[in-house]
Amino acid sequence: MAAYDTFIAKEFKDVQEDEEMLTVIRDLTPGKAKYRSTYAKIRVSKDPKKYPETLWVRLGRGQLIETPCSMQIMEFVDVIPKGM
Amino acid sequence: MAYKYYKDNRAYIEALKKTGDLVVVNDEVDWDLEMGAIVRRMCERKSPAAHFKKIKDYPDFEALGAPMATHRRLAIAFGLDPATPIPQISAEYLKRTTGSPVKPKIIDRKDAPCKEIVWSGEDANLFNLPAPMVHDGDGGRYICTWHFVVAKDYDTDFVNWGMYRQMAFDEKTMVGPVLAFSDMGKMFYNKYVPRNLPMPFATVISPDPLSAIASSAPSPLPEAEFTGMLMGEPVEVVKCETCDLYVPAHAEIIIEGVVLPNVMIDESPFGEYTGYRTSPREKRTVYRVKAITMRKKSILAVSNMGVPTDEGQLLRSFSLGLEMERMLKDQGIPVTGVYMLPESTHHLVVVGVKPIYANIATQIGQLVFGSKLGPWFHLVVVVDDTTDIYNKDEIIHALSTKCNPATGIRITEHGVGTPLNPFVSPEQRKYGAAPKVIFDCTFPLNWPASELPVKVAFNSVYPKEIQEKVLSKWNQYGFKD
Repeated sequence: MAAYDTFIAKEFKDVQEDEEMLTVIRDLTPGKAKYRSTYAKIRVSKDPKKYPETLWVRLGRGQLIETPCSMQIMEFVDVIPKGM
Repeated sequence: MAYKYYKDNRAYIEALKKTGDLVVVNDEVDWDLEMGAIVRRMCERKSPAAHFKKIKDYPDFEALGAPMATHRRLAIAFGLDPATPIPQISAEYLKRTTGSPVKPKIIDRKDAPCKEIVWSGEDANLFNLPAPMVHDGDGGRYICTWHFVVAKDYDTDFVNWGMYRQMAFDEKTMVGPVLAFSDMGKMFYNKYVPRNLPMPFATVISPDPLSAIASSAPSPLPEAEFTGMLMGEPVEVVKCETCDLYVPAHAEIIIEGVVLPNVMIDESPFGEYTGYRTSPREKRTVYRVKAITMRKKSILAVSNMGVPTDEGQLLRSFSLGLEMERMLKDQGIPVTGVYMLPESTHHLVVVGVKPIYANIATQIGQLVFGSKLGPWFHLVVVVDDTTDIYNKDEIIHALSTKCNPATGIRITEHGVGTPLNPFVSPEQRKYGAAPKVIFDCTFPLNWPASELPVKVAFNSVYPKEIQEKVLSKWNQYGFKD
């Protein structure tokens, strides 16, 4: 179970569970690439065991929600045009 | 004639060591929060700078923490005695930067230390640099906290050096805010973006101290030429690997690439110069990396913004205040001095003036708020020439006793601000708006002399001969101060 985190612009209670959403997730694997960001389509559950990956949630100013969620990565998305 | 200065941070580190203004940290420190926490505490305690010799995961790099977070270090950067009082450091800055600009000197790449190592292609990977996670909760690793970005205007020769924070997003991508009213913002959004053209950039990390001062100064002159004025001789620059930009040859690390038009990605939050994380996670300007060049055993400079005092607050206050003084004097305003308090996170400026005509405080406020400097502050305190603008006790005394709450406070509701202002509403933050206020701490000129309160201070209510007698016998009385 890999660990990631994400930032949300709204209140935690308003996070839509089990619906596909496009967001930035950060890989928390220790090492030189820790905190690498990527856009991805994911599904989130507040049940920490429902999906295969752990997702920690932070609010817009970095405040950490103390209980992790779980997440399924549907697809990584490259938002930067090819060749740039 | 060249002034005394340090050509690179290595010579500056040696100078700081000699005066006791640097601690060498030989223990390994973790780039993931530990280094940031050390530097934060150093800033809050006004500790010496730190030279970190070992960084976890990055054996080929060192770091310099809080390079210029005290006035002592600022004085040393100018080659002055570290105990030099602030007004004298200010006078040195104004002396050196009055006169003709000094164009940079181009040197061959074989003589440029910043070309000792060149990474291109896949090797130009941001995660091969020891970018710190500066604060817990930041949006990413901020590789660029003490640096400047070099960019050239699309259709003129104007080249800007400016400090624009940059976060490592992935191996090849950095992201950060470029405010529309900034010099780089104007050239990028007005000229490159409408043409859908990428703008070449070069980020200079760990520049020499005077180049850093120039890049954060709001002077209308090109910063490379301003640096030459501060040095008293041309700053040595070298051509980039991937574009026609020139960068200081003695800097530690250069990141080259292009700023992408019409693409924005998520950036921040970040612990900012105001001492808060104010601006939320938002889509911001994207930098794509093409090459990274550096010195061997490169020393990454790390600034940690937060509650006062870090070098961003200190330097920005220093140069904003002095450029404001220059501008007001150019306009013929009889100012006696301008001091922006670093503790105010460059939000509060004190202007000393000879109040020779009515409403001079309002005129001063309108001039400085209406200038290019205006977006960065919102509190102007105007005092007369009996108040020492560098003495916080005297400023508070003047504000508390001479500013009439009904007539001496003048508010402008619709000023230009930054999205980083903690006190503005979310709506104002979104559109970079901010109210501004002038505190007029001068007594009205239409009061008759007989009605003017008389300041009761040692140097104002005693005859000169009594003052001299008391001063000459002070220690004899038994006082040690």
